[in-house]
Parts: sequence; structure tokens; C-alpha cells
Amino acid sequence: MRSHHHGQYLAVDSICFIKILGNSGQSPIFYKTMSIVIETKDLSRVFKTYQKPEGLKNSLRGILKREYTSKIALDKTNLKIESGKIIGLVGANGAGKTTLLKMLSGLVTPSSGDALVLGYRPWERNYEFLRQISILLGQKNQLWWDISPVDSYALLARIYDLDITATRKRVQDLAEMLQCSHVLTTQLRRLSLGERMKMEIIGALLHEPRILFLDEPTIGLDIVAQENIRNFLANYVKEKEPTVILTSHYMDDIATLADRLLLISKGNIVYQGTVDEFVTNSNAELAQDEKVDFEEVIRRFLETESRIR
Amino acid sequence: MKKSFAVFLKRNLAFAKLAIVSNLEYRLNYFVDAIVQPLLTTGIEVLLWFAVFQGAHTTTINGFGREYYLSYALWGAFFARIATSWMYEFRMIEEISSGSINSLIVRPMSFYEYYLSQLLGYKFITTIISMFVPVIAAWIFDLPTIYSRIPLAIVLCFYYLILVHTISFIVSSIAFHLTKISSFTVAKNLLLWILTGELFPLDLIPDPFKKIIITLPFSSGVFLPVGYITNRVTHAEFMQGFVSVTIGLVLLNFLGAVLWKKGLSSYTGTGA
Repeated sequence: MRSHHHGQYLAVDSICFIKILGNSGQSPIFYKTMSIVIETKDLSRVFKTYQKPEGLKNSLRGILKREYTSKIALDKTNLKIESGKIIGLVGANGAGKTTLLKMLSGLVTPSSGDALVLGYRPWERNYEFLRQISILLGQKNQLWWDISPVDSYALLARIYDLDITATRKRVQDLAEMLQCSHVLTTQLRRLSLGERMKMEIIGALLHEPRILFLDEPTIGLDIVAQENIRNFLANYVKEKEPTVILTSHYMDDIATLADRLLLISKGNIVYQGTVDEFVTNSNAELAQDEKVDFEEVIRRFLETESRIR
Repeated sequence: MKKSFAVFLKRNLAFAKLAIVSNLEYRLNYFVDAIVQPLLTTGIEVLLWFAVFQGAHTTTINGFGREYYLSYALWGAFFARIATSWMYEFRMIEEISSGSINSLIVRPMSFYEYYLSQLLGYKFITTIISMFVPVIAAWIFDLPTIYSRIPLAIVLCFYYLILVHTISFIVSSIAFHLTKISSFTVAKNLLLWILTGELFPLDLIPDPFKKIIITLPFSSGVFLPVGYITNRVTHAEFMQGFVSVTIGLVLLNFLGAVLWKKGLSSYTGTGA
């Protein structure tokens, strides 16, 4: 990976992906087809956490002196992701999925290593980069809690410099596809979890991002709502072809949507390949009369993970 | 360049509207905040100055009669209402400590401009609504007020508000490292209560402290605009406020940018 930081020229494995910038902040002039849109080199993140032993005495001691431990959330990760692919990121709780997602989207700065997403270092938060990505964190609101979704979308249109009339039309279209037009003018805080998630998805797709980071988009939803959102996303990516990185604890999401699978364990990528290859390889390791499906393979993987921990 | 500036303006106008729209969702809370609170503050200050003059058995303090102090109390409460930021500073800190800032920093905008425009939008609408109180009271009780000076005094106060926001930005940057820091806001605002001249006119402070405190940019929040309206401060002294706020803005924005960058690099993307 080579990169000249301030803007004249950037190259990531020049065979796959070349991008030339004018002055800093301008849009890329050309991309080769089938480009690598995400590439990381030894990307790592270490978190330091304060350890508080039990009791008042230790609280008082902590006023003057505190003990910290370091935890490697992501360890020297190397990745290459092609444009237009849907990547299922799977791992146990605390394996490093969300940390990876947050670094690739620019929320978190790495402790060491490097990454280029669409030719930009995500944590530099270049506006041109931010205009081309979207991140949906299933456990966090991205829209404004105290106003209605339509007011939020109008605000997003201003932030992303979108045409207001075209945005309204797009909201209507997406809302019809998600069957939630009736709640567009209701204050966000008064919506059910399922309705809220649909509103969040519309908000995340409004500016037609080239890269979409989806962290648990169906978390906490009932089976019908999960299926609706899954179907919607499947149709959307077929039509718009964004690159999607998806994490989910529901293996149906991954099996239905993902082209490729990234298995992550204790901060390390332990498998990169297609879902089918993964199942075939896993079955090859089993006894001849035993056959398991994707969900079962992942379940066994996660069980092993939690035992090792 | 022109286009990006137009985009910037439209975006920030939208943030200012957001502040108005989201506050008006809770109408009663807003009107208590915009009308009842300044009325109560004014009442307390007026009573205080009545008590001071009665207890001191004098008709003037530092060369000004009771009416001047009542007018100062009335306009002081109004300007202090503009020049302080509790609500938005708490929100900024909360965004960082709770991790809800995640939804802001992945968008093509800055946290600084997002909250500054909201603060200005909120204060603008609140100023229009709450200004009726001192104008009507000053007119009914015939308190010393130079009405023609009010617009320029409000301009200085709003300019100072940018400095207030920059201080809030600095305080909230500390939340990246310390998480719970609302006590910083309380301590800082108590200090500003005195330094702005909200508690009492700054010209009552003995020299040399008086000169130093009035030279600081904080006097542009209350003392200079109110002193200008109530004729305690000359035009030249008043204009000096623009200079001191500008110097403060340059220094504090530099400090804020450094702290923000340092804070973001250590940010762990709390939650989710």
C-alpha cells in the first residue's frame, strides 16, 4: 500500500485500484472497474480500560492512583474488499467486529497500521469520504430523537447537499418499499423499535452511499420485521450495488445477504471467503455421515470461541 | 469555493432551524425557559438592589442612583439569558460521553458548527420572545435605557456567544478523556456569573481588578452591552469588547482545535 497523504496521488495496489486527486478534498478523477474499495494493512486497535477492584477503600485509592489494562480489540488486520460486494462480518461478542467497522467508517482511530477506504484514510474524516459512506449502528439512533423522521431527512438533505424535492421523492419511495409511510411524520421517540429501524435505514440510504456499514441492523426485531428488512436490503443492494459490510448475530441475515464471509476471533480475521466455501470446508472436516448448514457451522464456531475465552 | 460556502450556509441554517423545531416540540418547557426564568431572575435582582439601597441609606452607589441599578438588573437578566449556555453544553458533553456523537462525526459536517448554529438559532428566537419583558418593564417604570443602543448591544452579546460556544467546545472535548464532566460546566458558569457582570456591575469592583476584569472578553456578555444601554459605559469602551472577544476567539479556538483532535484520536466509539 502506498499513499501520498496530502492529495496529489494515491495508489492502493496499483493493479486493482488507482485514484488521482486534484487539490486536497476534490473527488477522485477515475477508478478502475472491480476496484478494491477497502484495504487495510496491519490495522490494530488497543483499548485501555480502568480496573476498579471492589470496595470503598479501592475507590478512595483510585482518587490518586488507577490501574489500567490494555486489550487488543483488533490485531494487525489485513483486508481487501472489492466494490459491490456484501461482506458478512461474524464473530462472538467482543471479537472486534464493531471496532473494525468503526475504524473503517472513521469513528475510531487505529493504534497502529493503516487503512484506505475509497482512497481515504477514514479517521481523517474528509467530507468527500463521509459523503460516500453510511453507518447504521443497530443499537444507536442516527436520526434525531425529538423530531419527526421527515424533519430529520430534510436536515440530512442539507448536510449531504441533496436536492430537497428529489430527497422527498426518495423518502416516499423507500418508505413505500419498507411499508412505513404512515409514521414519517411521527416524532421518532414515539415509534416502535421496528418502525424506528426502518426510519434509520431510510436515513442511512438517503444519500446513496457507495459503502454501507451495517452493524446489527435487525437487532431486537421480531421475525417478521427481520425478514422485511432483510428482503428490503437484498433488493436495495441488487439495484444500487453499494459495498456493504454487515455484522449480525442472526445468521439468516448473513446467509441471505452476504457474498463473502469474514470470520473474526479475538481481534483476528480467521476466515475470508464465500459462505458456500466455508460450509463446504467445514463439512469436509466432519464425519462422513454428518452434514451441517451455515447456521450450525457458525453456532459451533461461536461455541468454541466462548469456551476458549 | 462559492458553492461550498453556499452549502455550508444552508447546512447551518438547517441546524439553527433544528434547534427551534426541536425546542418547540416541548412548548411549555420552552416558554418557561424563555419567559418565566428571566422574569424570576429579574425579580430576584430587583429585590436585591432595593434591599441594598434601603440598607445603605444612600441615594447613589458609585455615582449611579437606584433606577440605574434596577435598569441594570432588568437588562442584565435579559443579556445573561443570551450569554450563557447550560443546555447545549450539557448536550455536547452527553453526546460524547454516551457515544451518540457517533451519528454526527460520520457525517460531512463539524461538531463545532452543528452546535454553534443550534445555539445561535435557539438564542435568536429566545431573544425575540424574551425581549418584550425588559422593554415593557423599562417603559412602564421609566428606567434609564437608551433604546437606540439596544441593537448594537445585542450584536456584541451574540458575538460573545460564539466565544461561549468555543468554551463549551473545549469543556466537551475533555469528556473524551474524563467522561463525566458536568461539574466543569457548573464551576465555569459560576465563574462567568461574576466575570460577565451578571451578578453585579463590574465597575463596582475596586481597581486594579476592575480594569483587568473589564478588559477580559467575558465582560462583553453582560456588563458592556448592559452598561452601554444604561449609560454606564462609553461608546469607545463598549467597542473595545469586540476586540477582546476577537482575541479570545482566536486563542480559544486554537486550544479547542488541539483538544478536539487529541480527544477524537483517543475516542473509543462508546457503545454499540
